[in-house]
Amino acid sequence: MQYELRTQVIEPRRKTFTNLTERYGDRPATRYEEGSVDVQATANFHYRPLWDPTHEIYDPEYSALRLTDPYSFVDPRQFYYAPYVTSRAHLHEAFASTLAYLENRDLVERLPQGWKDLVAQAVIPLRHYESGGQLIGAYGCRFGYGTTITQCLSYASFDRVGNAQLLSRLGISLDGGSDGILVSAKQAWMADADLQPLRKYVELLLVESDWAAQHVGLDLADQLIYGLLYTHLDETALLGGAGAYSLVAQHLSGWFTDNRRWVDALYAAWGRDPEHGAANKAELSALVARLLPGALEGALGVARIADRCLDAGAVAFVETRARALAAAFAPEES
Amino acid sequence: MAAPRKLSMKQRYAALTRDLDWDLSYVDEDTAYPYTSFEGIKIHDWSKWEDPFRLTIDAYMKYQAEKDKRLYAVLDSFAQGQGHLQLTDPSYLNAMKLFLQGVTPLEYQAHRNFAYLARFLNGPGPRFAALCQSQDELRHAQTEIHTLSNYNKYYQGFHSWNHQHDRVWYLSVPKSYFDDAVTAGPFEFLIAIGFSFEYLLTNLLFVPFMSGASFNGDLPTMTFGFSAQSDESRHMTLGLEAIKFMLEQDPDNVPIVQAWIDKWFWRGYRLLALVSQMLDYMLPRKVMSWKEAFELYFEEQMLGGLFPDLAYYGITPPRHVEHAIAEKEVLSHQVYWTLYQFSFAAGFTTTVPSEDAQKWLAEQYPQTFEKLYKPLWDKASAVVDNGGRYFYQGLPQLCQVCQVPMLFTEPGDPTTICQRHTEFEGERYDFCSDGCQWIFEREPEKYVQAWLPVHQIYQGNCGGPTVPDVLAWYKLQPGDNGEIAGNVEQTAWEAWHATSSAEEQAPAPVAGN
Repeated sequence: MQYELRTQVIEPRRKTFTNLTERYGDRPATRYEEGSVDVQATANFHYRPLWDPTHEIYDPEYSALRLTDPYSFVDPRQFYYAPYVTSRAHLHEAFASTLAYLENRDLVERLPQGWKDLVAQAVIPLRHYESGGQLIGAYGCRFGYGTTITQCLSYASFDRVGNAQLLSRLGISLDGGSDGILVSAKQAWMADADLQPLRKYVELLLVESDWAAQHVGLDLADQLIYGLLYTHLDETALLGGAGAYSLVAQHLSGWFTDNRRWVDALYAAWGRDPEHGAANKAELSALVARLLPGALEGALGVARIADRCLDAGAVAFVETRARALAAAFAPEES
Repeated sequence: MAAPRKLSMKQRYAALTRDLDWDLSYVDEDTAYPYTSFEGIKIHDWSKWEDPFRLTIDAYMKYQAEKDKRLYAVLDSFAQGQGHLQLTDPSYLNAMKLFLQGVTPLEYQAHRNFAYLARFLNGPGPRFAALCQSQDELRHAQTEIHTLSNYNKYYQGFHSWNHQHDRVWYLSVPKSYFDDAVTAGPFEFLIAIGFSFEYLLTNLLFVPFMSGASFNGDLPTMTFGFSAQSDESRHMTLGLEAIKFMLEQDPDNVPIVQAWIDKWFWRGYRLLALVSQMLDYMLPRKVMSWKEAFELYFEEQMLGGLFPDLAYYGITPPRHVEHAIAEKEVLSHQVYWTLYQFSFAAGFTTTVPSEDAQKWLAEQYPQTFEKLYKPLWDKASAVVDNGGRYFYQGLPQLCQVCQVPMLFTEPGDPTTICQRHTEFEGERYDFCSDGCQWIFEREPEKYVQAWLPVHQIYQGNCGGPTVPDVLAWYKLQPGDNGEIAGNVEQTAWEAWHATSSAEEQAPAPVAGN
């Protein structure tokens, strides 16, 4: 038997806000759609920025990559604030239990020396790389056009602080609760010859004026670095008795996979745009041709450290991955 | 070798946040942070910024996820149980329509511009604080949309909030206010929004809406208000830290900051004109009068509490504050009387205040209501009794700065409209007050750019030459605007309640198996 609860039935006057029924027809909208689509102002701005009178407050011309309708891009994860923070609360909780597990069993301490060196010399310094990613996301959040895009960039920026804090916690743990490794990792970030190409690459990205160039440039470096440290080396770790490394790496590779979903969807939206698609593809090819060499040089530095610590085929992996990226973004034959 | 010393909580926090930053060496600092010098603010040591709160990302995510889980549970159950039927009266929702059309887009703008600060302030401490606030402001924009989304399904006036914010005449008041702030430099924005909006005036802006909700059966908005409170207290401490940091860094900063306080107090105060009428006229069940709110939240707490503290730095109460104090007796009445006459072109409805409401207004405003404003309502009532409704024919002149119609009166003379004007590059510009004129004259190049709705209508940029053209361009639907009495919302409300009381009298259905 079922309960027969009587409730007052009132026919709603409308299913959602007008902008959404105009776009999607007369159907109920999701909370993602209501909180994201058409939220940014697009018209009748009152003043121009004192610090940039050549642009409107929100202006598609802040980037060479354009969408005819900015909302032709939607986040495949459907992240508005609430599901975003819920998802990241789980990520950080899971990482904390991994770290507690490793600490309780002294597993970080028992990592083979080569892996300890890898973590201290190549992985922990990248908390500063993440911190650079924080600034790139914040820049995109301000200057991107359309809430569905800027919202992703905003969360990505916050994620970078989160990732930097995961790496920092690992560093503190590896040093028995102190910051010795963080301090030496920062010195390495500032001075180690193998890390300078990456630091230089990030610093130069920060002063690119086009937010999309910054974003694409970061993604190129991410694809090489995350691919190396958290996928390629993860497999090596499992074969080489460094299970603890794999337990940590899963959280970062999991984040990277999640982040890729919207990054790839944005590439796709740029490419299929009815008006700007061809120009976007050409612009992306040119951007990748210009930025990939720097990203590759940066990632190769990290790979050289990895190979010194482990001889894990890191340099070869990065080179292969970079060739694949170059091919994926190569100009289309006309 | 000695065992490594474990980090203290404070050191650990620094290691997880500002220590992530590094000194750039492949690009110079001025190229990477190009916007922190043109305003004249001198910062000698960014590390002196005291983090106003210490939250690591894991803690932030955990708290916020828990808060949102509770909030959305309330929204869902309210929607499922037709909670909107428990409102005091559907006309209460006029306050919430104004909120969604006028305030929610500002939260969103704050989200975007705190991201600008999160990129361009030179110090990692304030950058991270700004990034957190950017996230919070997005939360507020979205939770407000979701909170009010259920009302949109049954009531008018909510359906095109974002479209209207960029177009409708009275919404250019909040829009131009925030556009002004985000087009300023990063330090002015910190004073405009971080300090003036989030600290100085926040209790006059948010508390009236949230208290109004709780007095009028709007459980979702009240829950939203409570849920936003812990975020807001972080924003308030950020605003206070920002002003102290600037004042402590260099004595040359003091006069610059003072001028910004002067400007943004008046700018914000004029925006609050909309809140004053909401408190005194829109709420069916009153919370407190505008005058009382202004005395408590501004005169007592800010002039009496905050400014004596800021005097230590050489900061004085804002310029023109005496005009705001003098205006507290007349402000809300003048504004609502204007909205009453122009609500045919608004996304909310108005009516002659009921007898009880007028009695309450007379008690709250013994000096002014019966003498100056009751006669106006008597006249309006007489028109209604004869089967009419008084709407103003024509378009109002707007103040070039605050964009409120020129409805305010001379300080100390509530029967003479205050009009000021300034010539700039051969053109005449009009202002509602000394405050707005002073703001214009500091930065005329900025304010001549204003997108003034009335000018735009006359120039043919708003859908066409007739009133119906403009209203269609606003996407107003029948029942969104005009008079409350006889409105589709009122008739629907009465029908819903007639049904529910009929059901209550019928034998209750047996629930269960």
